[in-house]
Amino acid sequence: MNTVTHKNTVLALLSSLLFVQASAQAPTPPGSAAPAGASTKGVELKGKVPVNPQTLRVQLPKPQEAVLKNGLRVSLLEDHKLPTFSMQLYFNGGGLADPADKRGVAMVTASQLREGTKQRSSREIAEQLATLGAALSSTAGPASGESVVSVTGLSDNVEQTLAIASDVIRNPTFPASELDKFRARFLAQLQIQRANPGFQAQEQFMRAIYGEHPGALVVPSEPVIKGLTSADLAAFHAARYRPNNAFLIAHGDITLKDLVAKLEHHFGDWAKADLNKVSLPPPKGPEKARVLLVDRPGSVQTSLWIGSLGIERNSDDYFAMLVMNHILGGGPASRLFMNLREDKGYTYGVYSSFTGTTFPGVVVASTDVRTAVTEGAMHELDFELQRIANEPVTERELTNARRALIGRFALSLDSPLSLMGNLATQKIYKLPADYWDTYPQRVEAITPADIQRVAKKYYDRGQLQIIAVGDAKQVGKVLEKYGAVEPATPM
Amino acid sequence: MMARRYGMCLCLALAALPIVGATAATPAAVRVDFSEHTLKNGLRVQLVEDHTTPVIAVNVSYDVGSRNERPGLTGFAHLFEHMMFKGSKNVGDGEHFYQVFTNGGAMNGTTSSDLTVYYEALPANQLEMALYMEADRMRSLDITQAKLDNQRQAVQEERRLRVDNQPYGRSYERFDEVFYDKFGYKHSTIGSMEDLNAASVQDVAEFFRIYYAPNNAVLTVVGDFKRDEALATIKKYFEDIPRQPAPPPVDLIEPKQTAERRETLTDPLARAPQILIGYKIGVGNDADQAALQVLSSVLQGGDSSRLYQSISKEKELVSGIGGYVEERIGTGGFYVTATVRPDQKPEVVEAAIYEEIARITEEPIADWELQKARNATRLGYLQSIRSAQNRANILGSYTILFKDPNLINTRLQKIDAVTRGDVQRVARKYLIPTGRTVLTTLPAPAAPAAPAAPGP
Repeated sequence: MNTVTHKNTVLALLSSLLFVQASAQAPTPPGSAAPAGASTKGVELKGKVPVNPQTLRVQLPKPQEAVLKNGLRVSLLEDHKLPTFSMQLYFNGGGLADPADKRGVAMVTASQLREGTKQRSSREIAEQLATLGAALSSTAGPASGESVVSVTGLSDNVEQTLAIASDVIRNPTFPASELDKFRARFLAQLQIQRANPGFQAQEQFMRAIYGEHPGALVVPSEPVIKGLTSADLAAFHAARYRPNNAFLIAHGDITLKDLVAKLEHHFGDWAKADLNKVSLPPPKGPEKARVLLVDRPGSVQTSLWIGSLGIERNSDDYFAMLVMNHILGGGPASRLFMNLREDKGYTYGVYSSFTGTTFPGVVVASTDVRTAVTEGAMHELDFELQRIANEPVTERELTNARRALIGRFALSLDSPLSLMGNLATQKIYKLPADYWDTYPQRVEAITPADIQRVAKKYYDRGQLQIIAVGDAKQVGKVLEKYGAVEPATPM
Repeated sequence: MMARRYGMCLCLALAALPIVGATAATPAAVRVDFSEHTLKNGLRVQLVEDHTTPVIAVNVSYDVGSRNERPGLTGFAHLFEHMMFKGSKNVGDGEHFYQVFTNGGAMNGTTSSDLTVYYEALPANQLEMALYMEADRMRSLDITQAKLDNQRQAVQEERRLRVDNQPYGRSYERFDEVFYDKFGYKHSTIGSMEDLNAASVQDVAEFFRIYYAPNNAVLTVVGDFKRDEALATIKKYFEDIPRQPAPPPVDLIEPKQTAERRETLTDPLARAPQILIGYKIGVGNDADQAALQVLSSVLQGGDSSRLYQSISKEKELVSGIGGYVEERIGTGGFYVTATVRPDQKPEVVEAAIYEEIARITEEPIADWELQKARNATRLGYLQSIRSAQNRANILGSYTILFKDPNLINTRLQKIDAVTRGDVQRVARKYLIPTGRTVLTTLPAPAAPAAPAAPGP
């Protein structure tokens, strides 16, 4: 959150498509859709493009594995193409492990990790890492299952980089003066974030879905941020940042032998600890359908988020959901995009997505539309959500979804971050060793009936939460068609 | 056809020359070896064979951007880019992205003031499809009133999303209007609603003929293919697309600025003041640019930087601060952006920024700071060339922006050659009050439906 928006990221590069990949970790930014009739209303296929009918099947690389003496599990994707390395250290216990009255400790602990150790000040850590050309970041969300530390650097400097990383990960002191500075900075940034209509919609949506469950929190509450102490962070760190509570995934220009030797040197005497298992009652989900409107007087657009409670990552419905979401709104070739953007011209982007971790995530379709077409956009969104639940998808849609979902594995081979992410997913959710190898078969097994079933179940009209951020005077009436409109207070 | 061949693949080699005075061992040199070919119709082709992953990436960079627009048609280059996805003789409306995504690929198109690029990455067995679709729209774009009206709406929504409905959206746009004198860069790439409404089908056809000619484009292909086969396919689909007269030149070199420029806006969507500061610099890739990049890294690159440490961490005046050097075909800029804490005054923040700038002009930077700039650039460079798509995009962009695709291989050396003296020299030369433009945005009470209005 230390970066500012540079003007060129806002204006200089304008993309014709703002494609947001559906992710298993986080909802996509606002987007939405509306249908018209034929599922591919916005696209015309002339049948002349030389498409290779074969889907290129690829093998994902297998990691080399080792366990340090202190129990830390290590996986390496060795790759000498470029003289760089990356590693990600996953600790079990993110925001879900927070004390119930301090939801935010995990997030702040992660953000304060590099603000001082027994040997180094915050500034020394920043300067020493920068001098090596290394980057170290750590994150946890208020509802994440893990706290994650990521380190990237030049393979010439692995040794020195690991020395600093080890100090930062093992010996943070969480100085009170740094925490005070963080608090002030965070609250000022939050005020600015909350001026963004998409962020407002997301916060309202998550609260509507999750109620008291921590899944409701996009960011911690202001009172919690104001009340946290260094002792809170130190306690969380001592309980969670432990070698026997973690796994490490590495990629790059290093051998397993070399990596393990260096890790034993810098992390070998890191003490294990007894661990408390995180357990939390599952979210209940919304009890009834609601329409919530955040008034943003003069807003030239309405941000719309529509959805409900979804599935856990391990759910039996995962693959049906994956294919359903792809057809509904998983990208520019989807129904929502073709209808609301390409056919109607209501929006710059409209997408659906689903999330899910150790607790059920959300299903959501979202968009930003100009105020005057809010009614049409709602109509089309509603139409598409009903259509995917009430009618079987066409054979062509299903075939294309399979081709897309299986075909994109080839591209992931060109992205170490994707490969590392796949490995982490497999470990966190204890998926079978052949999970990614059998993924194509699992996708291919999904039928139109499966798709209809999960669409009906999770985009259930009786539980649908509709969030709108826009000019209430202009859009309030339009929304009443979908239920009693409740004014929502901005957070 | 002329061919300049540099080699076959992305490979590693040890640098021959030790870096004088470096404490670390000489870092391994990395090269992106590419071959260059020019088709009979003037299309430049660049090929990089890389068999390490089964993907192919295509980039088509056109030598056109909002710099080529005329008054009354702002936003047109970008609107046109949207039209490139609306179909051509043999590719249907929307079929381009439909085929790419349906076959496991990723794609996009982007427009800036200087260039317009189209790119896609796909599994390696779909190279012919990608080339066919790029060639078909270069040859035979299908332009109709209905398609234009449809994309005009999508672009106007994009403007609302990014500018009109965002805090500071209007400020970024206004900044260039104050900073620049020549029309090419003085207006925003997204354009005005009024001008977008004025664009006609005739304008689209004319723009296509002038700027989307093969001799005004660069085709770069990177990935898992055999060069001779790829080249044969490229010639088959592209070589008979007719050449056009060269587009008219645009003057993008600004006159010397002699006095500070300053403006204040109020923004009902903003919740904290913001300061945008820009200094005029020379054209992209000129002799001072490497030193300016190092200067920017030391001053404002990341949380070890002087501005972050001093103004955000120590003095606690801002909630965000940072910036970058923008290298353009014409006159570029050295930018600093600060978001002021709600309880602080913009003029205090501004003074603190100038204090740090004064310090960097008066005393040489530290050795570690120079090392930081070199290593950060190196890591950033290595990460940027990892994917086939990025390599294709960089080669295409460097060719249009700097007329030098091999800059992908020489840029790091230029950064490594910068001395502490160079950094001080360019700071003194460019970061001067008379070369400066300052735009301050102040939050204003929400006014009904009023866009941010220029201040006094």
